Amino acid sequence: MILGLGEYLSLATILFGIGAIGFLVRRNVLIQLMSIELMLNAVNVVLVAVNRFHPDNHAGQLFAFFVIAVAAAEVATGLAIVIALFRLKKSVDTDQAASLKH
Amino acid sequence: MSSSTLLFCVCAFFALAGAVGTVSARRPLRAAMALLAHIVALAGLYLTLHAQLLAAIQLLVYAGAIVVLFVFVIMLIGPASETSGSGRAGMVRMTSLVLMGMVTVTIAFAIVDTDPAAPRLPAGYGDVEGVGGALYTQGLVPFEIISITLLVAIIGAVAVARGKTAVEKQIEAKEKARAEVEARLGEGAAPAPAE
Amino acid sequence: MNVALIEKLLPFIVLLPLAGAIMNGLAGRFADKKLVSGVAAGSVLGAFAIALYAFVGLYVAKHDGAEAAAFSADLWRWFDVAIPNGQGGFRTVPIELRFVFDSLSGLMTLVVTGIGSLIHIYALGYMKEDPGFARFFAYLNLFTASMLILVLASSVTFMFVGWEGVGLCSYLLIGFWYENPKYAAAGRKAFVANRVGDFGVLIGMFACVFFAGSFEFSDINAYAGVMGASDLQFPGVASGLTFGNAATFATLFLFLGCTGKSAQVPLYVWLPDAMAGPTPVSALIHAATMVTSGVYLCCRLSPLFLQSDVTMSVIAVVGAVTAFLGATIAITQHEMKKILAYSTVSQLGFMFAGVGVGAFAAGFFHVFTHAFFKACLFLGAGSVMHAVHAHGDADIFKLGGMKRFQPLTRATFLASCFAIAGFPLTSGFFSKDELLVGAANVWLEETALPSSVGAFVFIVLAISAFLTAFYMFRLYFLTFEGSYRSAPDESEDPERGGHAPHDAHAYAAHPHESERSMTLPLVILGFGALVVGFLGMPHWLGLPNWWEHWMEASITNLAVPESESHTPHILAMAVGTLVALGGIGAAWALYFKGSGVAALDEPKKNALTYFLYDKWRVDELYQRTILGPIKWLAIQCGRVDRTFVDTLLTRATSGTAALLGHLLTRLQVGVVHAYGLAIVIGTGVLGWWFLYPHARVDVTPGADSVALSAGPGLGYEYRWDVDGDGAFDVPRQPETLTVAVSAELDQAAIDQTARRLSNVISSVVPWPDDRRALGAPLGPRRYSLTPPAEALEVTRQFLESAQGVTIEGAEPAGELFGDATAAEHRYDAEDHVGFTLVWQDDLRRSHRLELEAGETLLDASVLAFAWQPLRPEDGEADPMADVPPAFVLGDDGALAVRPNGADHRGLSLDEGGSAPLSAGDRFTLGGRPMRIVPRVRARVQVRNAFGNVATETVEFDLDPEEAQAAAPLARNDRAGAAR
Repeated sequence: MILGLGEYLSLATILFGIGAIGFLVRRNVLIQLMSIELMLNAVNVVLVAVNRFHPDNHAGQLFAFFVIAVAAAEVATGLAIVIALFRLKKSVDTDQAASLKH
Repeated sequence: MSSSTLLFCVCAFFALAGAVGTVSARRPLRAAMALLAHIVALAGLYLTLHAQLLAAIQLLVYAGAIVVLFVFVIMLIGPASETSGSGRAGMVRMTSLVLMGMVTVTIAFAIVDTDPAAPRLPAGYGDVEGVGGALYTQGLVPFEIISITLLVAIIGAVAVARGKTAVEKQIEAKEKARAEVEARLGEGAAPAPAE
Repeated sequence: MNVALIEKLLPFIVLLPLAGAIMNGLAGRFADKKLVSGVAAGSVLGAFAIALYAFVGLYVAKHDGAEAAAFSADLWRWFDVAIPNGQGGFRTVPIELRFVFDSLSGLMTLVVTGIGSLIHIYALGYMKEDPGFARFFAYLNLFTASMLILVLASSVTFMFVGWEGVGLCSYLLIGFWYENPKYAAAGRKAFVANRVGDFGVLIGMFACVFFAGSFEFSDINAYAGVMGASDLQFPGVASGLTFGNAATFATLFLFLGCTGKSAQVPLYVWLPDAMAGPTPVSALIHAATMVTSGVYLCCRLSPLFLQSDVTMSVIAVVGAVTAFLGATIAITQHEMKKILAYSTVSQLGFMFAGVGVGAFAAGFFHVFTHAFFKACLFLGAGSVMHAVHAHGDADIFKLGGMKRFQPLTRATFLASCFAIAGFPLTSGFFSKDELLVGAANVWLEETALPSSVGAFVFIVLAISAFLTAFYMFRLYFLTFEGSYRSAPDESEDPERGGHAPHDAHAYAAHPHESERSMTLPLVILGFGALVVGFLGMPHWLGLPNWWEHWMEASITNLAVPESESHTPHILAMAVGTLVALGGIGAAWALYFKGSGVAALDEPKKNALTYFLYDKWRVDELYQRTILGPIKWLAIQCGRVDRTFVDTLLTRATSGTAALLGHLLTRLQVGVVHAYGLAIVIGTGVLGWWFLYPHARVDVTPGADSVALSAGPGLGYEYRWDVDGDGAFDVPRQPETLTVAVSAELDQAAIDQTARRLSNVISSVVPWPDDRRALGAPLGPRRYSLTPPAEALEVTRQFLESAQGVTIEGAEPAGELFGDATAAEHRYDAEDHVGFTLVWQDDLRRSHRLELEAGETLLDASVLAFAWQPLRPEDGEADPMADVPPAFVLGDDGALAVRPNGADHRGLSLDEGGSAPLSAGDRFTLGGRPMRIVPRVRARVQVRNAFGNVATETVEFDLDPEEAQAAAPLARNDRAGAAR
């Protein structure tokens, strides 16, 4: 078995799908944030894998690097929002966070 | 089966298992641990793709910073970090699950045959010198913007997560006390106005 | 004189007032009054100075012998228009922004800037107290700029810019005191009446460019002879009737514009109402300059107007009638400005009567002299009104004896009255004399115009001149002579004197002379009213007529034969002098010497006087005949609008939108997961779109081949089957070879063989990027090789001949796709997959009918006339009687037609009643031209980066006629998109 790009892409797709399902199904904000991390990581796998098969430059790896940095920023603000939400609602359940509906 | 293929299979298994564990764990702390396993497995995958530096960064940033941050917050919130009960919109969530699963499986099968020829890698591909060189030449402007983004995120996080300051708490307490006094005084003469 | 300098300065004549208008309009409200005054008057004075400089330059140039001298300044090309070139195509006509300063426009420019300057100075005093001071001068400057564009423009189009500009400013200034609804209505009336005329100018302009092929005045005039000689046919049902010549058509419409702008019958009604504006406006716009622009236009295009007897006669009669109408109305009016307004209408009629009898220069001379005395009269009236604090207009029956209070105003007013009455040796005498001479020439001499027109015009003008002298001196005597009829009663408290009127109907008790800035223009204009006539002294008396000579370069007058008798001249001068003196005498007898003024206070109680006092009731006539029905129509339209548009369309659509919005708000549930579901659905759709390729195929028939092109996409690769034979047009498919190396070769020999192999391959195709092409180790001494498809043959040959190397096996290495998004193919007869019937209907539109395998019955409605069912001789009904024509496409691809009794041509039937057909056949069936066109098929396969493949099939007709018309005709058949 020779590893091709397709295997990496399929794996990334499945990881992304798991992350997406986690985000869509779970009500716990913390786990939803982790699901977002899963999705970002899946995208990183695609970027690095495609870069491996077009190795003229490091564009894919650079992009993955930036995605990691943005993910760090996103987690920092996201967790801050979680704490604020928890202060307000005494809960991390997204069902409680429906104040903006009206 | 070559060693890289073996590594791929092992890492892929752990990545998948970690991902499933993350989204399915009841307790957030267990989810965070599963996420850690997933991240380490991905670092291994990066190694099979000749992205040594990125694998290192993955471990440093994700495992070292992000997961730790998650654990901190979980500990800060304590037992309330678990949700209970069935919640609203159960049908919607189940529909999402089924649809997203179908989409994922379809796409995964549709692209699994993508098979361009694997070219020979140029010297220095993926190592510290190669990626670092690219980062500080062609990626310099985004790199600087990213650093500003991180700074903004830090300030934003502090601003959002910060509770009330001591002065604000004092003012609030005083106002509350005054309102109580007024309410008590008003009770005798007239019914207190409804809030 | 420096011609280059003059031409450089020329645009500034227009730009200075324009800049003044912009400055005062934008910043005047916030600026000091002195600054506004300086900008307003200074800009016009500057323009006057440049105009004077240019005029002197023109004079010197003419004096030096250049008779047709003119200065011109090109600004830029405005735009191009396309007009029919008469051969079914179009040609472009440029519209240049160009100023031309010749003898005609130069003089008019002097009048506009000169009198404009005086009136600006006058208005500085007159409008001193008005809150809209800056606005007024912004409008007035804008008017000056527009008028100068109108005068200086070299083309009809550019002139029309000025024409509309002065119309706009006239509207703005008439309604200057817009708080008064009556004044605002007067402005609207002027605007609408002018709009009717502008329609005429537009049509005339289009006619000019259509026939003469240019917008330039000079080109149109040069082409006038041709326009006069070309008959204009009515199109459509009325063809055969002749409209008259092209010049008649164009000039009649242009004259319609002139009747609007220059207040002629039937569109004059706006001018008397226009006196609602401030008096300087009445003087400048509605007496001296704008209203004469119609005369100016006629003079500009005098060669064109001369080409049409019809138009000339119409102009002459309309002018004479207007002159008479205005004069009769002016006799009975009570207000100063109203009398002057009708006097203006009447004098404009004089000018047009002169133009109509071919005396263009005389008509324009009257424009010139009229500008002086009428401006002076209006300003004098304004001075009187200013003195007595009359707002809007002043009733002359409440005035009187003003000469005691306003000696300067009275002197200039009297001078102008003499001039307009045509008192001998004043300016009006000379110009009116020239007009009468023009009419008398047409009457008595042999000219191109009918002499009856000349007689009519002469007599009517003479009567009108008498009336003019009469009403002007009636006005003068009632205003300035006698005693002041609004003087305070002796019984009144003297403390209440001063400027306050002592009752609602009378005027200020103690009038006073106006200030210096108002009297100075009066003096200049009054002096001009007396003397400018000497520019055009009668030539037949041996006196120098500078005017005629000066205008020769730019105005063409009606040709009048030379005669020794001077009868028309003597007649005109005698009649002119007589009527002037008679009119003045009659007024003197009635209003100065005669019975007390009070007795004349009311119009005499007879029907005629009432009729004249009511201005011939023309406004009422228009109200009944034109405005009434239009208003009725508008009300009906409004009703439809309210009931249909407002209720049904507006409410229904807004209701639907509101309902949809209400439904959409239901989606806003506040549950994060519901929004997530929406994202999932979107992701699925987008993912599907990108996973599988989509390529639309466009077919472009060319002269002898067909070009096919497929749409692009991310990472798409293509392979074509253009001839539709089912096999893709790919020459070779790549193969992967398995090569075994015998144990005899050592590593060096293997490397050498590999190098030689790569040399061999790179001699056929460039060095491939894919390293697998040169072999990858597959095991001990076995290699896998995938050479490029082009180099497959040479690789095989090399390997077979090389020592110690054997080809163990070969297998296909994927399918070859290319980058070509387009393909071209020349189809021949064998390529077709079917036939299409193309037939033409009555309107020669083509229709297609694809012939299917088996029998295709032609719908009977296709045929031009019903087909005749076959009726055998013996009268028995034919079994095929009710069957329409049929096309039969056999399984072997043979096509035949069975007319079944339909009328046909170009078909040879066999005994079975059918005729074989093949591609390209033409025939007529049932009265319809038909032809058979082959249908061909092309196929393209698209693969995207994910390795997914989609197949597109197009079928299209191979129709040479369609290809010639270069109209792409294709039908896309989407075959299933499969992996």
